[in-house]
Amino acid sequence: MTLSAPTNTLEDDEPSGDRMTVEPPTVPLKPSSPPPRSRRSRVVSEERLAALTQGRKAVLCVDDVSVSFDGFKALNSLTLILDAGELRCVIGPNGAGKTTLMDVITGKTRPDTGNVYLVGHGHDLIGQSESDIASLGICRKFQRPTVFQGHTVFENLELALAGKRTVWQALFQGLTKLDRETIDEVLQTIGLKDARERLAGELSHGQKQWLEIGMLLAQKPRVLLVDEPIAGMTHAETERTAELLVSLAGERTVVVVEHDMAFVRHIAKKVTVLHEGSVLAEGTLDEVQANARVVEVYLGAEHAKG
Amino acid sequence: MSALAFARRLLSPRGWIAFGVLAFIGTVLIPTLNSAVSPESALGVSDRVITLLGKFVCYATAAIALDLIWGFAGMLSLGHGVFFALGGYAMGMYLMLGIRGQGVYRSNLPDFMVFLDWKELPWFWHGFDHFAFAMFAVMWVPGLLAYAFGYFAFRSRIRGVYFSIITQALTYALMLLFFRNDTGLGGNNGLTDFKQLYGYPLALASTKRALYVLSVVVLLLSFLLCRVIVTSKAGRVLRAVRDAESRVMFLGYDPRSYKLFAWTFSAVLCGIAGALYVPQVGIINPSELQPANSIEMAIWAAVGGRGTLFGAALGAFVVNGAKSWFTVALPELWLYVLGALFITVTLFMPDGIVGAVQRFVEKRARTAASARAPEGATP
Repeated sequence: MTLSAPTNTLEDDEPSGDRMTVEPPTVPLKPSSPPPRSRRSRVVSEERLAALTQGRKAVLCVDDVSVSFDGFKALNSLTLILDAGELRCVIGPNGAGKTTLMDVITGKTRPDTGNVYLVGHGHDLIGQSESDIASLGICRKFQRPTVFQGHTVFENLELALAGKRTVWQALFQGLTKLDRETIDEVLQTIGLKDARERLAGELSHGQKQWLEIGMLLAQKPRVLLVDEPIAGMTHAETERTAELLVSLAGERTVVVVEHDMAFVRHIAKKVTVLHEGSVLAEGTLDEVQANARVVEVYLGAEHAKG
Repeated sequence: MSALAFARRLLSPRGWIAFGVLAFIGTVLIPTLNSAVSPESALGVSDRVITLLGKFVCYATAAIALDLIWGFAGMLSLGHGVFFALGGYAMGMYLMLGIRGQGVYRSNLPDFMVFLDWKELPWFWHGFDHFAFAMFAVMWVPGLLAYAFGYFAFRSRIRGVYFSIITQALTYALMLLFFRNDTGLGGNNGLTDFKQLYGYPLALASTKRALYVLSVVVLLLSFLLCRVIVTSKAGRVLRAVRDAESRVMFLGYDPRSYKLFAWTFSAVLCGIAGALYVPQVGIINPSELQPANSIEMAIWAAVGGRGTLFGAALGAFVVNGAKSWFTVALPELWLYVLGALFITVTLFMPDGIVGAVQRFVEKRARTAASARAPEGATP
């Protein structure tokens, strides 16, 4: 840990933004690319947004984003449009940029070029703080479960509850009836009603994962980013998680990053395959699997094994 | 929220009973034993003991303040002596000006200024002859320093051991500053030889007793106020910041403002404790700013049990009580005892006295519960 640099202890599986080098992009920018970003977040150009979404019911647009770490291009002119209410699986071999994509959307990593638009927000998300982006309704579930171990399940959800983030509110405002109802609803959804007063640290691995998903739900997110939700889960827990994720889509957009192809097949309607930092293919799992290049770089390995 | 629900939030019914008993002993029983019973009898409490207890009570308040930020927000300050001493100096300046004309030199200036051949009060001494002004300074001077220090420290995301080190540096730097005669606060000797507080002579037993009772009341109120904070949602956010700060950020909170609030509040409490301490011990000098003093505060909290508030206060009494006894009975042994105490606590009671007792009680309750309800009760 360095003395003054922002540090992040949650996720260090991939290079984080702290070590990001700001070198000029090696790929020539397209003429339609936005001008270099100023320090302040910019207003979204309506034309650009319309051109990207093309009449789709989009909620989040990742527009031509590139990130490089010490010369390694983690994301390479990646463009990704997420529709309202869909359940999207993002797959790809190791190092394809899946986690970096999440980092960029949630504000943990600043890209070298490119923008991220939240439809209806009017501003570029790039350059906004992590907590600001979170309060706009873009919530992320990390690989490792990170619930507050020393708090009860109920308290974990209380902290996650949307709204009320300032010190004074937290000091003097209690929970309203509506708040309690919301928490009860979430407890019901994630199946932890009986564990309400237990310490989160005492929960099983799978229960912690669900609690964390519940915490994201309590934030009333528009977009839910879920990073490898079933890593380390038992079979029964995996089943339950699949049900949970499918039930969550519809009201909100859910993005799942996952390695396990059986799980992806189980839940996904639409799949995006990343490779070397850009989108290789997009479509239903069958369409994607029929794509020759995908078979070559990713599924080929799976097929060879199977 | 109804008053009853609020009271229940602060302490359990059993907790309130214990609180009431301790409050009664502290504010009624001990002062009565001091004023009505002869000190020679077995139950008598001498004036010396009253002053000693008053001192411990101030330490306990400071320990609670430290526990709020260490035990609940995870920031170990090794410089809380700074805020204690600043509150003490603010009170000392008021008491110093209260001497006027009765000093060794019969001057309107404090003795040390006459000695240094100063002709008039330095600018920052003005106003300190007013009681209300001085009491206000007791709070805002430590509070302002803490706010400014915390603002920059938390903005730079300084955490953990680095934070402890710079707080230690802070107290050392201030000690060097206060040692200088030119600083205008009595240099090496500090401020002393106080005569009266708000018109009451400090030498009188009744004044001493009143100061003691006031200190106890402040301790009790500080405890309750800190309970209000830690049982509110803000307290839960602070604990969450302690356990997983990044996660709190991703939930949309700004951890800095929560830390800054707790840190500044803690400093103000410490300042008030220091202000009550000074008239009881009769002196404030830069030795209060020694790094070792601030470290000792952390030891009180650790021995009693951090993260419990009550434990921190208990630790202050236990450690200082032991110190008073040992430094009289076996003076050369005290430092070894302190060292041994710290090692014992870290090795065998990581949660301090209160933590050890709690674990014992919980264990007994659990064995009793599991005996009553076999499997299937817990999900």
